[in-house]
Parts: sequence; C-alpha cells; structure tokens
Amino acid sequence: MNLKKHLLILIMASLLSCYTRVYRDINMDFGVVRTVVVMPLVNLSSNQMAAERVRDVFITMLLAASELYVLPPGEVARSISMAGIQNPTAPTAADIIKLGNITKADTVITGTVKEYGEVRSGTATSNVISISIQMAETQTGRVVWSASTTRGGIGITDRLFGGGGKPMNDITEKAINDLIHELF
Amino acid sequence: MNFFKVFFLFTIGLLHLLGCAGVKETVRDNTSLEVIDFHIAVLPVENLSGKPAPLTEIRQMLINKIKILGLDILEDEFLDWFMEQNRIRYTGGIDSATAKSFKEEMGADAVLITSLEFYDAEYPPKIALISRLVSTGDKPVILWMDGTGLTGDDAPGILGLGLIDNPLVIQDNAIINIAVSLSRYITGRLKNTNAYNVKFRPRIYYRSPLLHASSEYTIALIPFLNKSSRKNAGEIVMLHFAKELMKMKNFEIIEPGITRQSLLNFRIMMSSGISIADTDLLSNTLDADLILTGTVMDYQDYEGTWGTPKVNFYTLVIERKSKRVFWISSSDNRGDDGVFFFNLGRINTAHAMTSKMANSVVKIMEGR
Repeated sequence: MNLKKHLLILIMASLLSCYTRVYRDINMDFGVVRTVVVMPLVNLSSNQMAAERVRDVFITMLLAASELYVLPPGEVARSISMAGIQNPTAPTAADIIKLGNITKADTVITGTVKEYGEVRSGTATSNVISISIQMAETQTGRVVWSASTTRGGIGITDRLFGGGGKPMNDITEKAINDLIHELF
Repeated sequence: MNFFKVFFLFTIGLLHLLGCAGVKETVRDNTSLEVIDFHIAVLPVENLSGKPAPLTEIRQMLINKIKILGLDILEDEFLDWFMEQNRIRYTGGIDSATAKSFKEEMGADAVLITSLEFYDAEYPPKIALISRLVSTGDKPVILWMDGTGLTGDDAPGILGLGLIDNPLVIQDNAIINIAVSLSRYITGRLKNTNAYNVKFRPRIYYRSPLLHASSEYTIALIPFLNKSSRKNAGEIVMLHFAKELMKMKNFEIIEPGITRQSLLNFRIMMSSGISIADTDLLSNTLDADLILTGTVMDYQDYEGTWGTPKVNFYTLVIERKSKRVFWISSSDNRGDDGVFFFNLGRINTAHAMTSKMANSVVKIMEGR
C-alpha cells in the first residue's frame, strides 16, 4: 500500500512539472488544415522579447513537424497591415476571416506567453515557461483548438541541490513540443 | 607560371612563420616582391562594431600585407578622387554601377571590402574582421571571402605565456590571417572543410524536400532582422552566411552591395521580416532563386576578461518560383557549450561561433 502511495506521489510530481490542457472542436476536420498563420503572441512576462522568441521557435517547430505550412512572419506582418487589424495579438472573428481571405490560410494561431524566465522560491531558482495557444479557422473565425502548457519551474532537485534549472531554450522547445504533440 | 606558384608558396610559408613567431616588422618592410598584374582597390574599412576603432590603421596594415603578396593596390589619392566623384559613401559593398565605374575609370580588377565586426583594445584585446574580394565590371561577383576573430587569451599556454596584451599584435595577427587566406585563393589552395561541428548545428530546422542537393542555386542575402542589443548584428550574421555559402559549390551568391541597392531602389522596409511580395520583387530583379534572411535574437561578445559570447538567430530561406519557405532553422550557442575541463574547446568570440553555426546551417541546407 505504501509503495502505491509513493508511486502516486511520484506520478503527480512528474505531471505537475509538465502540465498541458487541451480543447479540441470535435466537428473540425484537422486533416484539411494545410496552411497556418501564426500571429504575434501576447506577452505577459517580464521579458520584453519573450513573445517573439516563443513565436520564432513555434513557427520553426511547426514547420519542422512537416505537417503544416506556416507563412513567414514578414508575410504575416504585411497581411495584418493590409487587413487593417488594430490589435494583431487578439484578432476578432471578422479579422480572422479577413486575414484568411488575404493569406489563403486555413487557420490562424494566436497565443499568450504567460510566464517566461527565472522564478525564485527561497534560495532556489529555476526557469519556467507558461504558454497558451488558440487556433481559429478562417472560414468562420471560430476557435477550433486551444491548449496551454507549463514547463520548468522549481522542482524537488532544484530545492535540494540547486543548479538553476534547465536552460530557457530547452524548456521552451519542450513546452512547444507538448503543444504540437497535442495538435497532431 | 611555375615560378609564381613557388613564389606564392614561399610567401604563405613566410607569413605563417611570422604569424607564429609574433615578429611582424619584417613582413611590413618586405616590399621587394614582384607585382602581379591584378589591380585591387581597397575600400575604407566598414565599422560594424558600433564603437570607435582604428579603421585607418587597420586598412593600412591590410594594404601592406597585400602588397607583400605581389598584388597591385590602387593609390589612395585616386581612390579618394573616385569615391568623391561617384559620391560613394557606403563602403560595405558595391553595386553594379559602382563596379562598372571601378573597372572603366580606375582600371581596377577587383575591390577588397573589409568589415570590422568587433574591436576591443582593453585586455585581453579582441578583433573580428570579415573581408571579401569582389570583381569589377558589368556583373560583380564575390571572388573570395573570409574572416577572422581573435582575442588575446585564445591560447594562454603554460603559465599564461601565450597571452597577448598588445592590441597591435592582435590586429596584426588578424590581418595576417586575412592575407594568408587571400593568398590561398590566389594560388588556388583554399581549404575545403567537409564536416561541420555537431555542437553548432541548428537546434531545430525544417528543410524542404524540394531543395535538391544536386541543383545549383543563385542566392541573395538580406540583412537579418536585428532584435539583439548589439548594433549591426543583422549585417554581421548576413556576412557570416555569405562567407560560408561561398565555400559551397551549389550556391552562387549575389554581392550583398547589389542586394542592398535593390532594397533601396524599391524602398523595401522590413520591420517584421520580408514578405512574399518583396521576395518576389527582389528575386526577379536580382535573378535569384533563393532569398536568405532571418532574425538575430542575441549577439553578445564579452568585454574584459570574464564572459562568454552568446549567439541566437533564426534563418529563413524563401524560394522564388514556389514563393514558399525552403528552409527555417533556429540556432543557439554559447562559447562554453560542451566545455567541461580547463576551458578546452571554449570559443572566445561571437565571430568564431557564428561562423561555425552558419557553416553547419549551410551544410545541412545543402544536403550534407
């Protein structure tokens, strides 16, 4: 019985360090999605470059997955300008439809970087990333997929032995990998 | 012809020996060598370091070294007059019209363009240079391109006997490296490095299956979008890519000066990267199959004794016909990556690291 309890605690602890939540529209056929626009992300972290760093890694990893074609960021910026979107980080349904007509993309991805950088707890420090992503289809502007994930943070080993946690790039890639894994 | 080959081999050997021994005065004074019928205009050094640097001295040292190779350098008075007449202010590249004028008015066969990437006279002194030789005439092409990045503590040796504290010695060593590489090009003995360093390969990359390893591509390079705190990092990373692409057989590079002129002519502003419409316009104007650009997130050299260089950039290649992304990659390295004992394998300049990172990107892109 004790062994089971310990195993449960270990599983819970490992789940807490990698926490992903997903919403998926059951009526959406994700197989038809071929081209994607990744919009600039909202940055709620204290690092000014966090949103751009995460977006660049996200675009590269999405393309590297070889399942979807992602429009280059320069083309997205031009399309946003052409569509006259006031707030590209939080486009309305009408904005998404307009963007779809200009870019011929099937879906538009928006997102938020909630945490990015170092966290402290007592003497222990570590890196953490927390991001949420939404995918909206360009025909209706409706959100068809949404996911959020958190990676890094101060774990037991960081508290006991210190070390500063894993590098920011490593946990960013892992977090985005979690999201892409959920998408496919 | 054989005499020239023997003569150049002797010169290279001499420069190598002098580079190792640290005695440079003999090289400067040795001007009795035979002159080859190849006229070069040495443009003033472009300062990409973002700080004041002894550009005139560096240029003069470079001229002295090249003269030893037996190349004929156009006189400064003529060059100044020519630059004034043609209103040339930008010295980081040449466009087609300027290249033609260089040939017709000055009789120059090539132009040597040098960019100072980094300069720090404080101990340990640091310098990074990138040079290229561009032909003149109707269609300027890059004939040779190389760079060097040195610091005073690159090889401390036993009891720190190898430490260099004089910035002039570092400058001299860097210029000797450039001159030796140029002499290798002239004698047809350029090194062909086959393998890339796994440590510096991109962390993530996408390579389009339509990018054929056997096909030849003309490629135009656009300065990377600079989101780092380092001034001119976009231009610097672009030059590194040009340098590494020059080593590949499958890629023909369009002189960055021509690309720059096209960007100015079409008033293309890229605040968020290049769009497909701009890519289309540029590739058709320049007759380029591929457009290479990207974003620099970090480009850090350290000043003083302690620190580690850090470089992080994204590379993007768009193809002309399909108007699609053919390559995208994310590269991120620190100078102490994979260093565990006694600083073995440590890299002290962002220049050296970016060269290796760009080299691995280019080689994977080529299909190696």
